[in-house]
Amino acid sequence: MSNIIEVKNLCYSYDGDAQIVKDAVHNVSFTVKSGEIIGIIGHTGSGKSTLIQHLNGLLKPASGEIIIDGKNIWDEPKKIKDIRFKVGLVFQYPEYQLFEETVFADIAFGPKNMGISGVDLTKRVEDICDIVGIKKEYLYVSPFDLSGGEKRRVAIAGVMAMQPKVLILDEPIAGLDPEGRKEILKMISKYREQFDATVIIVSHNMEDMAVLADRLIVMNEGNLHMYDTVYNVFTKSEELEGIGLSVPLVTKVLTSLKKKNSGIRTDIFTTDDAVEYLCSIAAGGRYA
Amino acid sequence: MDSLIKLNNVDFSYGEDKNFILNNLNLEIERGSFTVVLGRNGSGKSTLAKLMNGLCKPSNDDGVVIVDGIDTKNEKTEIEIRRRVGMVFQNPDNQLVATIVEEDVAFGPENLGLTPQETRKRVDDALKAVGMYRYRKSTPHHLSGGQKQRVAIAGIIAMRPECLILDEPTAMLDPEGRDDVLDIITKFNREDGMTIVLITHFMEEAQFADRVILMSDGEIIKDGKPEEIFSDIKTLEDIGLDVPQTTGLLYKLKEKGIDITTDAISVEETAAKISAALHLEEN
Repeated sequence: MSNIIEVKNLCYSYDGDAQIVKDAVHNVSFTVKSGEIIGIIGHTGSGKSTLIQHLNGLLKPASGEIIIDGKNIWDEPKKIKDIRFKVGLVFQYPEYQLFEETVFADIAFGPKNMGISGVDLTKRVEDICDIVGIKKEYLYVSPFDLSGGEKRRVAIAGVMAMQPKVLILDEPIAGLDPEGRKEILKMISKYREQFDATVIIVSHNMEDMAVLADRLIVMNEGNLHMYDTVYNVFTKSEELEGIGLSVPLVTKVLTSLKKKNSGIRTDIFTTDDAVEYLCSIAAGGRYA
Repeated sequence: MDSLIKLNNVDFSYGEDKNFILNNLNLEIERGSFTVVLGRNGSGKSTLAKLMNGLCKPSNDDGVVIVDGIDTKNEKTEIEIRRRVGMVFQNPDNQLVATIVEEDVAFGPENLGLTPQETRKRVDDALKAVGMYRYRKSTPHHLSGGQKQRVAIAGIIAMRPECLILDEPTAMLDPEGRDDVLDIITKFNREDGMTIVLITHFMEEAQFADRVILMSDGEIIKDGKPEEIFSDIKTLEDIGLDVPQTTGLLYKLKEKGIDITTDAISVEETAAKISAALHLEEN
C-alpha cells in the first residue's frame, strides 16, 4: 500500500508566553498508509491539534515537509485550498460552527466551495446523508433545532460531503452521551468503507482507540513519542502514565488482577477480548 | 434529611415554548452529599443545574426551588443564592475572563464586596486548593484544558459556596486533567463537607458519588446508590446510556455463565470480584 501522508521533520512553534511553551511541534516525522485508521493520543498541549492542522495546510510548517498523495502541499501555495478538499478536518465541537438556515445548506457549504452546484450538489448532500444516517426530513429544518448529537453529525457530514481521501477528526466524541458516541463512531466507519478513506482521530478515549485504530501516534511535549501498533503502545502502560496518559480500563483491571496472580496477561485492551480471556481461565484454560 | 436544595413540582420550558424540558420535577439535595446526574444530551440535566442556582426559574406558578431556605424566584436574593451555589461549566475557555490567573479567580470574591485583604486570602487559598498556586501570574490561555478548568473551579471556590454544581466539567479534558478535577471535587466533598452535584456523561465518574440520579426526557426516572443504578443495565440502555466499562466487563462475564455479581465500578473493586469468582488468588 502506498503512503497517503508523509510528514518529514515537521517543526512549528507559536509565539507567546516564554514560560509555557505548549502546542509546539518538534521535528516530527511519520507516514500513514492509504486506508489506515490512525489514533493520535497525548495530553492537552502536547501538540496534537497543531500537528493535524498542518496536514490540511491550515498551518504552515516553520520547517519540514507535508506530503499528501506524493505531493508537497506547499509546492504551490496558491493551490493550498485544493488540499483542504482532499484532507477534510473536523474540529473539536464542530456543531458550534453550523451557521446556515437549513441542514442541507450547511452540509452543502463545503462541496459548493469546490465548485459543485445544481443537481450534483443535491446528490452529494443526499448521498452523504444516506451513508451516515441523517434522515431526509431533517434536510430542510434549521440545524439549531436539532439535538447536540444530531448537530454534531450534521457538522461532520458537511466535511464528509467533500469526500476527502483523508478524514481527520479532533475529539469527535467529546461531550456526547454513550449513544451519541456510538453513532459518531459508526458514521466514521461507514464513511471509511464507502470511500476507502484514511482516517485520523484525535481522542482521549483509550477504549475507543483500542477498538478502532490500526496504529497510534503518541504525542508528548511536541515530540512524536511513539508511533506503533495499538498492541505495542498499550503494553507500555507505565510509560504512558509517565506522560499523563493511560491504558484502557479493562487493561487496568487486568493489571490489578496481575497483582493477585502473576500469571495474568495484561496485553488485552478491549472488553470483548478480556471476556474471552477470562472465560478461558474459568474453563480451566491456561493463563497465557 | 437536612436538604440544601429543594425542588417542588417544577416545570420548565424556555420562553413561551409549550414543550416542557422538565416536567413536575421533585428533588432534594442533602447538605454534604455527592450526587451524580446522568442522562443523554437533551434530557434536561443542564436545565436542572441552572434551576438549582437560580440561573433558570420554574415556568409554573406552583413550581418552587428553595436553596438553603431561599426561594430562587425572589430576584432580590439572587446574590445570596449564587453565594451558596457555585457553578462550573464544560468549557473552561468560556469561563475565564481575566488575562492573569489570580485576577480571574478574584473576580467572584470582588463582586461579593469583600475587603482586598480578604479577597487576597481567598484567592490564594482557592488556587492552593486546586493546585494552581504556582501559575497565579500566568495567562489563562497558555494553560492546558485541565489547568484552566481548575482555575475556573478556583474562581468559584473563592466565593466559598456551600454547594458546587459542575456541568460536564471533564468533557474536554485529557485523562490526567479529568483525574485532577475529580480528585479536587472529591476532596472538597470528603474533607470540607461541600455539597457536590456532578453532571456527566462518563458513567465511571459515578463511583465517587453517594447518589446517582438518572434523567430522561425531563424526568427523573431513577434515583439511588451507584451500585443500584448500574445493577439495572436494561433501564440504562433503554435511555441511551451505558454502565461503566468496568461494570460492563462483569456483566459480560456473568452472561457467559460465570458466577459473579456486577456491583462494582472502580478498577480495584472490579478486579476483586473477578479474582474471587475465578479463584485467582495465589497462595
